[in-house]
Amino acid sequence: MSSRDNILATLRANRPDPAAHPLPPVAMLGDMDNSRQRFENALQLLGGQILLPEEGDTLATAIARRFPDAKIICSAVPDFEGTIRIEDIESPQQAAATDVLVVRSPFGIAEMGSIFLSEAQLNSLNSAAHLTQHIVVILSEDNLSANMHTTYLERPEFHTANYGVLMSGPSATADIQGVLIRGAQGVRSLSVWWE
Amino acid sequence: MKVKPVNHAKAAEEFLEDAPHLTFHDERLWDMRQKRDQQMHLLPEWQDLRTRASEIKEHTLANLPEYLEQFEANAKKNGIHVHWAKDGEEHNRIVAEILEQHGAKTLIKSKSMVTEECDMRAYLQPRGVTVTETDLGERIQQLDDQLPSHIVVPAVHKLVPDVARIFAKNYNTDPNDNSPQSLAEAQRMAARPVILTSDAGMTGGNFLVAETGTFVVCTNEGNADLSATVPNLHIATLGIERLVPRMADLGVFVRLLSRSALGSPITQYTTHFRGPQKGGEMHIILVDNGRSTRLGMEEFWTSLKCIRCGACMNTCPVYRRSGGLSYGAVYSGPIGAIIDPTFNERKYSTLPFASTMNGSCTNVCPVKINIHEQLYKWRRVLAEHHELPFVKREIMHMAGKLMGQPKLYRTAINGTEVALSTLPRFVLYNWLNPWGKHRELPHPVKQTFHSWYKQNRLKKDKAQ
Repeated sequence: MSSRDNILATLRANRPDPAAHPLPPVAMLGDMDNSRQRFENALQLLGGQILLPEEGDTLATAIARRFPDAKIICSAVPDFEGTIRIEDIESPQQAAATDVLVVRSPFGIAEMGSIFLSEAQLNSLNSAAHLTQHIVVILSEDNLSANMHTTYLERPEFHTANYGVLMSGPSATADIQGVLIRGAQGVRSLSVWWE
Repeated sequence: MKVKPVNHAKAAEEFLEDAPHLTFHDERLWDMRQKRDQQMHLLPEWQDLRTRASEIKEHTLANLPEYLEQFEANAKKNGIHVHWAKDGEEHNRIVAEILEQHGAKTLIKSKSMVTEECDMRAYLQPRGVTVTETDLGERIQQLDDQLPSHIVVPAVHKLVPDVARIFAKNYNTDPNDNSPQSLAEAQRMAARPVILTSDAGMTGGNFLVAETGTFVVCTNEGNADLSATVPNLHIATLGIERLVPRMADLGVFVRLLSRSALGSPITQYTTHFRGPQKGGEMHIILVDNGRSTRLGMEEFWTSLKCIRCGACMNTCPVYRRSGGLSYGAVYSGPIGAIIDPTFNERKYSTLPFASTMNGSCTNVCPVKINIHEQLYKWRRVLAEHHELPFVKREIMHMAGKLMGQPKLYRTAINGTEVALSTLPRFVLYNWLNPWGKHRELPHPVKQTFHSWYKQNRLKKDKAQ
């Protein structure tokens, strides 16, 4: 007998009575506020930032001001130029040279300040979202879901994307004597630009 | 040769001798517990979430074979190669075979307790595969040749100078570097080139979703996503108990996991893998390693509900003052003490005794495992299987006799008061009384409650 069949047979013999453990209905709990304010509060708690436009700012001028030393700015959106387009990066490893990646997220979660990215937004170059030093995420407040329950129920991406990441602020660690450090191994900063 | 039981008490004794480490460890974990409480108080639905999580997990475990088949079918449909491993050895063999097929000699991996369970690095290293842990805490532990001491924060028992010493030896950094920031940066700089040149990547995982064939990885550092997306070969290892039936069930668990673990609302990264990335190949190994047997243990099967948040460890007074390494097992703390004996009853026979039975572990568990009750039940099972050490067995035997006979008990108790106040220390504090190590025995009372009651109340009760 294969290990697969062996494991399944043991489970069938050993499991508790299925009739005694019915599946509860899908949970829909908690605060249903999907406001921009709630999202921003949550994002800041997790170390994310809002890229605020100043008078007459475009995304390009705001990025130039926020990242004055950035040499390679990679764009994954049609409406922003950057110094290189994501389509022109040839391998997952090559994305490591990127200083700033600009990408559009299809939705955010107000409860967590999370933004979602999949291969659809990254031109199938998923590594770009993690090898870049900084990430700027374009998001519309029309696309905010209230909490984790509403998100998993509402968003079709969880049933279609091969790779789907919820990023909640930048990478972080507290593995050395409990000191919280933002910018561990993935992005050093995550900024949201409202559109 | 007979396996020797882990001497948890002795290892804890050594841990207790080092005041700076002990104090930091105790306070850091308690701080995580308090942050968890703050998050809990923000959510009026917290207890509802725990109940749902427990019910979903119990339902899934009772229907595990069907859900595993459903998961497998969906994952295959999405192009994932699905493997089954009955134990650690088979798991390691499967990994080695996949790597060999691709001629892969270097493997970067994120933290996975299952690969620790299987002792995978020790298997792959002599077969010419260089395995690099990319999680900071796990990497520190790998370089120091130690097991993770905590399932969420693997190097929580170490202080900055310890890390500086380890990094100086391996990364040529300043041995006197006392900045956690610059040490974390050193890890980033050391890991990047390894990540960029690695042949294969490996991750663990927190959840499997039967409905979609997805597996979910919750992390903070970004290293798991790097391990999964930079190399074109991704192997994921998960225990078979990690299943949930529906995508929408994840809402309950994601809301509980990081709040219970670290007191943050969510991990920085919550990643859903449903299929290989463009040009890539994806394998998933479903590991049993004793889980299917545990499912048949009437009193212990609910330990399979565990989502590995570590809240029970953070709250446990024994764990906080003995350190994870003192358990001598992959899983430490209260959850370790109830699952380790299922791996090796004799070796881990001492662990269920590493508890004060205060029940705090049960109270904080996000999936409502009755941990302290299982600790108690394990003690009974171990006594029945004659796995108790001599002194403990004899003391329990005498105590049992004493408590079974009220008259004898009262005489003895009165005697104890006399003994505690009159006997010299060497009679009270010796190897027959492990309780008296590091502790003072209670002050003798002038009168027992029983004799006070007899004097003051019994007569009045009769008079009425």
